[in-house]
Amino acid sequence: MAPGQLRFGHHVTFPPTGRRSFTDGQRPIPPLPEPPATHPVSDPIVHIAHLTKVYGRRKKPVTAVDDVSFSVAPGEVVGLLGPNGAGKTTTLKCLCTLIRPTSGKLEIAGEDVVAHPTRALGRIAAVLEGNRNIYWRLSPRENLEFFAGLQGIPARRVKGYIAELLDAFDLTTKANTSARMLSRGMQQKLALACALVKRTDILLLDEPTLGLDVETSVELRGALKRMAQEGSRTILLSSHDMHVVQDVCDRVIIIQHGRVVTDDRVANLLALFRARAYHFQLAERLTEEQEHRISSCFELIRFHHTDHTTEIEVELLRGEQLYQLMDLLRDTGVVVESIDRRDPNLEEIFLAILRRDQ
Amino acid sequence: MSATLALTAAMFKRYAIELKRYYFNTFSMMMSFYLIFVLVFYGARSFAGNEAGFGDTLAGIVVGFMVFYIVIYAYGELSWVLMAEASQGTLEQLSMSPLGLGRVLVVRIFAALVYRVGIMLAFLVLMMATTGQWLRLDLVTLLPLLVFTIASAQGLGFVMGGFALVFKQVQATLGILQFAFVGLLAAPIDRLPWLKYLPLSWGNDLIRRAMIDGVSIFAVPAGDLLFLAANGAVYFGLGFLGFKFFERQARERGLLGHY
Repeated sequence: MAPGQLRFGHHVTFPPTGRRSFTDGQRPIPPLPEPPATHPVSDPIVHIAHLTKVYGRRKKPVTAVDDVSFSVAPGEVVGLLGPNGAGKTTTLKCLCTLIRPTSGKLEIAGEDVVAHPTRALGRIAAVLEGNRNIYWRLSPRENLEFFAGLQGIPARRVKGYIAELLDAFDLTTKANTSARMLSRGMQQKLALACALVKRTDILLLDEPTLGLDVETSVELRGALKRMAQEGSRTILLSSHDMHVVQDVCDRVIIIQHGRVVTDDRVANLLALFRARAYHFQLAERLTEEQEHRISSCFELIRFHHTDHTTEIEVELLRGEQLYQLMDLLRDTGVVVESIDRRDPNLEEIFLAILRRDQ
Repeated sequence: MSATLALTAAMFKRYAIELKRYYFNTFSMMMSFYLIFVLVFYGARSFAGNEAGFGDTLAGIVVGFMVFYIVIYAYGELSWVLMAEASQGTLEQLSMSPLGLGRVLVVRIFAALVYRVGIMLAFLVLMMATTGQWLRLDLVTLLPLLVFTIASAQGLGFVMGGFALVFKQVQATLGILQFAFVGLLAAPIDRLPWLKYLPLSWGNDLIRRAMIDGVSIFAVPAGDLLFLAANGAVYFGLGFLGFKFFERQARERGLLGHY
């Protein structure tokens, strides 16, 4: 699939960059203090073409990433979804130079990542292992100062920015407490702040809510959302947490077995699947034989039973399949009490796409 | 340049904070310096009595110990740092510095050496004050000789650091090679001159001559100094290239996040 080309017959339309409106009333994430080096808004800031990564070429080669191509526009927030071992983390790590690709081209703001890794790294910050990406014996303020220095930025130049970050992530009262004394959620927020203090315009996040309880996950999701709303950074994140992707991302790329299987705007996917997802309420319960006959004609169908009735949830891949299903139900002699369009969430869409491509 | 300065300042500050936060380890290090100096000062005195020239002998022993300690530390520190950073999950962050992992680690080792040597010198002064036995240490001669001697040890340290990036646990190899260092430091260069091409030997020989014979750096033939500088630079450079080779291997095989 060519970069920018989508399954489902769409083309990527990059969202408008710049600030989005705040809606949750929480403290905004401070924008970049200085605008990044000029980069044409119309050009992708992240460009991956035919990326392939094969481990162990001599003995039992394992293909982790297989000809992946996509682009990300400045200011866009893109989610990478996929089951374990799909190649999401490898793709992110190739982008931030931690893994050397077997073949393919990776560009950050026009810089070849493989040929000029340090130039590309000047534009990237990444959180890859959540709360393990920080120094636990250092306080939040000391961590932030250290990570600024690691980027070659003197601590005195980011003093004010550090205060803003601590405030934005609600860490001001804990600014001088050893990071090991913080809750996991706070440590995770600190890891995010440490990435932001590098003042890069591209942020890569690998499973930013992994291992958090529901409440902390919601809190961190809020922080990510505010960061996305702020709009001066391009964000590429991988996650198993569909709520994060649905809430935060403009676009989603689904990777399976190392290949891109879907690349579309989140809104498009939701609309597309909304048009295809139906809920049937039947007046009687179907027999096993009737169910088997119907399910053999539809890939994405589920039956739910009560004592006397059956409900059907189905994804119709083509419009005419609705007539086909109605014909099959008429043959059973069971009365259809109601038909509704369902509002699928991203999780259901994700599973439907994975099943389709298996 | 200012970026490297910012990195250096950050590394020095972090190391100082960690010395404070890992206070038990720091205290143990200080105690070990103190005990060793006690052993050297009183042990040497019990052997030599208060003969004339005892001060020079003691200074020789003290400097010998310091050279051995610093060399072993410089050689092993990088591997320990890489193993620790990998296991705490921060090695990938260091590897993503736009200043390059090599530069980050050189600065890290430099900061560690400055603090360690500083603490050791402070304890030496303390020991001299408490025993009243003031040693004549010609720092103008010692420091340049020490820097190039350490450089060759650091070259070997880079290779071991490269092994640590790829193979992760290298403690056993580090321990075994420390014995080789004893051999290199004790190499009889006057009988087997070719030994001077190995790391450490020539530098240690010059330091010994400076300490025992009281030779100032200005009296050391320029050729000898140039050879020492070249020896240090070559081993440091080769070691660094070796490290870069293993770093590339680690990136090739996706090992930077492993431990």
